[in-house]
Amino acid sequence: MAKTGSSDLAKQEQRLAYWLLAPTFIILLTIAIYPLLSVFYNSFTNNVFASSAPVEFVGLENYQQLLSMTIKTVPPKLDDAGQPVVDPDTGAVQYESAVAVLPREPVRFRQVTQFNLFGTQLVLGATDPNFIRAVWDTIVFAVATVFLELVLGMIVALIVNANFKGRGFMRAIILIPWAIPTAVSSQMWAYMLQPNRTGFFNTVFWYLGLGNGEIPFLSDPAWQLPSMIMIDVWKTTPFMALLILAGLQLIPGDIYEAADVDGANPVRQFFQLTLPLMKGTIAVALVFRTLDALRVFDLFQIVLGQARYSMASFTYYQLIQNRQMGYSSASSVVIFVVLSMFAVIYMRSLGVKSDEQ
Amino acid sequence: MNSKTKQRINRILLWVLIVVMAVWMLFPFYWAINSSFKSEAQLAMMPTTFVPRDAATKEVAFNLRNYEAVFTNQAFLRAIVNSTIVAGTVTILALGVGAFAGFALGKLRYRGKTGTLYIILAMTMFPAIAVLTGLYAIITNLGIPPILSMIVTYLLFSLPFTAWVLTAFFKELPTEIFQSAQVDGASPFQTFYMIMLPLTAPALVTTGLLAFIGAWNEYLFALTFTSISPDSRTLPVVIANFPSQFSMQIPFGEIMAAGIISSIPLILLVFIFQRRIVAGLTAGAVKG
Repeated sequence: MAKTGSSDLAKQEQRLAYWLLAPTFIILLTIAIYPLLSVFYNSFTNNVFASSAPVEFVGLENYQQLLSMTIKTVPPKLDDAGQPVVDPDTGAVQYESAVAVLPREPVRFRQVTQFNLFGTQLVLGATDPNFIRAVWDTIVFAVATVFLELVLGMIVALIVNANFKGRGFMRAIILIPWAIPTAVSSQMWAYMLQPNRTGFFNTVFWYLGLGNGEIPFLSDPAWQLPSMIMIDVWKTTPFMALLILAGLQLIPGDIYEAADVDGANPVRQFFQLTLPLMKGTIAVALVFRTLDALRVFDLFQIVLGQARYSMASFTYYQLIQNRQMGYSSASSVVIFVVLSMFAVIYMRSLGVKSDEQ
Repeated sequence: MNSKTKQRINRILLWVLIVVMAVWMLFPFYWAINSSFKSEAQLAMMPTTFVPRDAATKEVAFNLRNYEAVFTNQAFLRAIVNSTIVAGTVTILALGVGAFAGFALGKLRYRGKTGTLYIILAMTMFPAIAVLTGLYAIITNLGIPPILSMIVTYLLFSLPFTAWVLTAFFKELPTEIFQSAQVDGASPFQTFYMIMLPLTAPALVTTGLLAFIGAWNEYLFALTFTSISPDSRTLPVVIANFPSQFSMQIPFGEIMAAGIISSIPLILLVFIFQRRIVAGLTAGAVKG
């Protein structure tokens, strides 16, 4: 802090700082904090957009509807003799329909997924299976893309950090996927993934003798997420690579010279020198990208529409398609809470350097 | 194996990697360009062709109809204008307001600085989807026109980002300049306006570029706020929901042509300002 002799100047400086910061904070208050508070408020109401029905306070009902889940055992089908029915071809045990075991009163639970745990067939039911599935899909998407982007981004960063002719040009090329609108890249990939041999992937797979040339990449649930992950990895690996590159450039070169003298081969140098030195950069990049991946919207909305949701596209359709203001507010709040946790981790790992301390 | 052959093998390996990487990054563009020159009949060919070929004779045949269609498509042309207005205005506003904040955060001493730094950093990660419902309600209730809505709400992400990156740049400027100007009797605002701002011109260009790209590509708010007013749609919204002139199916040829046209400004920016963009991106995300 300023000494007493220059306290007038310090005061002047402080006043100026507040004036300069004021516009930014006023704008952010209006477009972020106020709407956020109204979303919180609305999430406790049954507000339906552009409807004449009176808005009522419904407490936690929206959250209950969004998040209620249950797990029930599905009994095997029994034949007349009381023995489990077994599929004659596969030898797999046949189970009763899940609808029979899921609760119907006071609210109806529908099936999200079935799985087998230690020989017991279980069903996961939820009052809104679409939301639970969206949360699960978004998490799987985030984990898979961030992991793949880290590995590939590291390779790309090491390449464009090497010395070769045309390095600047290569760095510009890897920026292109990052720079173009997601709307454009989503459409480009959607066209390459067409479910017949007009599409690039089906044609190539067919030439290679894989598949029948009619793989439904975007309509078969088993292919949907892998396709989304592939598109996002293409689009976002460059960004990851740039973050890693920035960290690589901070490592002093003489460390490697010393390692060369000691006869350590490049692979060992990478794992024993580069990787440990990059721990901080990688941690920051990981959390930053995870935050980004968890709020994915463009890609899911454009390519899959309402066939499969991410958390964000679920919220969008609840608002625009169903006009469920209260309900979509509740799902916004859930997303906000999840992302805030990651944001706190991110800020902890980054730290803010201020000369105040 | 002597060290010279070893070096040569390493060199070849590196170039193999470079080529694989470049193909991976660029192939979808190649495919989009390839498809944009195909007629409807050529697009429907099975198996598809790696260059536009005539369906009957298999001769190479480029078709310009998609580009003609796109350039006479009123919705697309209006979207170019809308996108330019929105992205341009957002950039100028974010730079103007963000430079003030960045200067205060980076160079001035005041009480509560750590707190404000944390707030700005937190705001750079603010999920737009969380306030979508609230903003939509406000905009519809007040009847704010879509273009204006987009300009104002895009500040939600471009303003904190600009302020944060500019803070990093201001911090790097030597404090001595600032102090000697003060000794010479300049007020802090004069110092900011006449000395610091010109020095950060390169940083302003960098940050402005990134803010522009972000606003040009924004989809969620644009889609929501223009849902009932097609005339205000920006390029990403039009490309994602392309209104066809001719075909009943999804007009992929036209979409590819439109996508390429709307990517060209960005590709040019990337090639001209590669260094600056990289510097700005990493300053925003990695440096604290």
